[in-house]
Amino acid sequence: MNHGIGVDIAFFLLAVLAIYSGWRVFCTDSMVRASFFLLVSFIAVGAIMLLLTAVYLGVAMFFMMAVEMMVMALFMVMFMMNPAGLNPMKMVHQERVAMAVGAVGFMVLGAMALFAEFPERPLPADLEPVAALGRELLGESMLIFESAGIVLLTTMIGVVVLSSHRGRYGGAETGSVPPGLMPGGEPAGQPAQGEDSEGGHQHHHH
Amino acid sequence: MIWEQLVLPTLTVLLALGIGAYAVAVLDRLIAGALGLSRAGSAWLAPLARGAWLLTQSANVTEAPDWQAWRLAPLLYLMLAAVGLALVPWSASLVATDLATSVVLWGSVEALATVVIFLHGWSANAPLALIGAYRYVALGLSYILISMFVLIGVALPAESLQFTQVVASQAELWNVIRQPLGLPLFLIVGLGVSFWGPLNLADSTDLAGGTASEVSGPPRLAWNLARAAMLVAFSGVAATVFLGGWLGPWLPGPLWLVLKMFAVLLALLLAGRLLPRLSPERCVTLMWVVLLPLSFVDLVWAGLEALL
Amino acid sequence: MTLMMLLLLAAALIGIGLYGALSQQSFVMLMMGLELILNGVMLAAVAFWALSGAGAPPGQLLTIVVMAVMAIEMAMGFALVVAVYRGKQADMTEALSELKH
Repeated sequence: MNHGIGVDIAFFLLAVLAIYSGWRVFCTDSMVRASFFLLVSFIAVGAIMLLLTAVYLGVAMFFMMAVEMMVMALFMVMFMMNPAGLNPMKMVHQERVAMAVGAVGFMVLGAMALFAEFPERPLPADLEPVAALGRELLGESMLIFESAGIVLLTTMIGVVVLSSHRGRYGGAETGSVPPGLMPGGEPAGQPAQGEDSEGGHQHHHH
Repeated sequence: MIWEQLVLPTLTVLLALGIGAYAVAVLDRLIAGALGLSRAGSAWLAPLARGAWLLTQSANVTEAPDWQAWRLAPLLYLMLAAVGLALVPWSASLVATDLATSVVLWGSVEALATVVIFLHGWSANAPLALIGAYRYVALGLSYILISMFVLIGVALPAESLQFTQVVASQAELWNVIRQPLGLPLFLIVGLGVSFWGPLNLADSTDLAGGTASEVSGPPRLAWNLARAAMLVAFSGVAATVFLGGWLGPWLPGPLWLVLKMFAVLLALLLAGRLLPRLSPERCVTLMWVVLLPLSFVDLVWAGLEALL
Repeated sequence: MTLMMLLLLAAALIGIGLYGALSQQSFVMLMMGLELILNGVMLAAVAFWALSGAGAPPGQLLTIVVMAVMAIEMAMGFALVVAVYRGKQADMTEALSELKH
């Protein structure tokens, strides 16, 4: 593949950015930052795809991942106790094993990249990547494409069933009580029972 | 070679960004004056004076903000506007980025704008800014969907995802007539993405300025500039995909595009001054229940036309 | 930018993703690890398509399928987190230890 020195420089910068931001995902205190670091990693990979002339896939990467990571960040804020990263935080288990597995995975795949022989068949000069992808999606591989669509639809239905408020055993909030502020304490954030709210001021029973 | 491929497109984008943002401020003040609203100072000088004043003010500091994100967000939003402007073809040959999928890239600019606006509100670590940020995420996801269907509609007759091809496909009939639902829907998206006028729910006055409520000084100037620039970029895209871009008799292509952009800007700013505001939850309902089905209708219309 | 460098980058992303998916306690962080793995997979697929596959269309199709898989993984993951959170007020993998038995 013939390309100028500019493409090489851009590739190296983007590769460093992709790896750095991918690594930062797991060692930042702020959960929102973590999801946006992941977004940066995706954008860098998308830009590398653009350099490889996969014009549609690279841009689709920006589009899809921006929305996905936005949703991810929202869920982060909903579920984590420390979304803003105001406290240092590390929530990991079996870290040594995980590190070893990650390193071994990298080394095995890296060894394949280094020592395996792949045929060198660059893109034909007259290829139109977007048109070729469109013809493939709606031509020969239509069954695969449509199956992916059906699976996505099924997922949507499944997700609504899983997360909707009404289930076969009653409302979703039955049996769901917030944890106490102390271990074993009263549920937090619940209105106290038996309190009369008349008179404009609150009585606190202890 | 370098002049034609690098310097000239960059210069065009930067010029359009600067002049366009100034034009938005002036036009908005002129419209306010024409509608009889009170305004202080001359419409031509007041934006510059306000900008200079903001530059001399000190930047507000909140308690424990996410500094990097807070300072970067206005610049990122400005960069997204610049990317949008870079996609707009000024003539058949003068395009900064003539990507084969530029329509999709504009879609991802809108999607990334959601991220940046959320980041701007969230990183200030202040309640009103955070509410504004959440509001924008809820609304932004619905704008993106509408915009996507409308843009697929204009890509259909062009049989391409490239803005230059979309313009070329309008040689006989502009898309604004061919797909009558498209432009009104797209204009609403434009007001939403730059949260202007009635759709300014992220930075609205009921939140004391929303995501920008804690921002002052130069960062505030950058944020205001970026919003105006996004409106300009949007009007460039709207003029390209619905009003035939550079096409037109007598005048040179870039001039036609500028005129059309001004027409779109005028329509947007007038709508911003005249349309009533909705509360955010009713706005989401309107987007999903009324406008999204309308964009389906637009797409089916475009598809049938392409088949016949 | 050779095939080898692209594959090394993909391998690095997959390695970091493996570490994240195995080490994180929070469900959402765990999903981020999975996403990073898929990121590397997509990059490798596009690299093979462009440099070793002579632009065979199924190469791009594979990437589209991986994107669909990512969307499904995200949606199912979040739905499960919501369901678990409703039942147990927990978003950590340790909270589900009775699934072992």
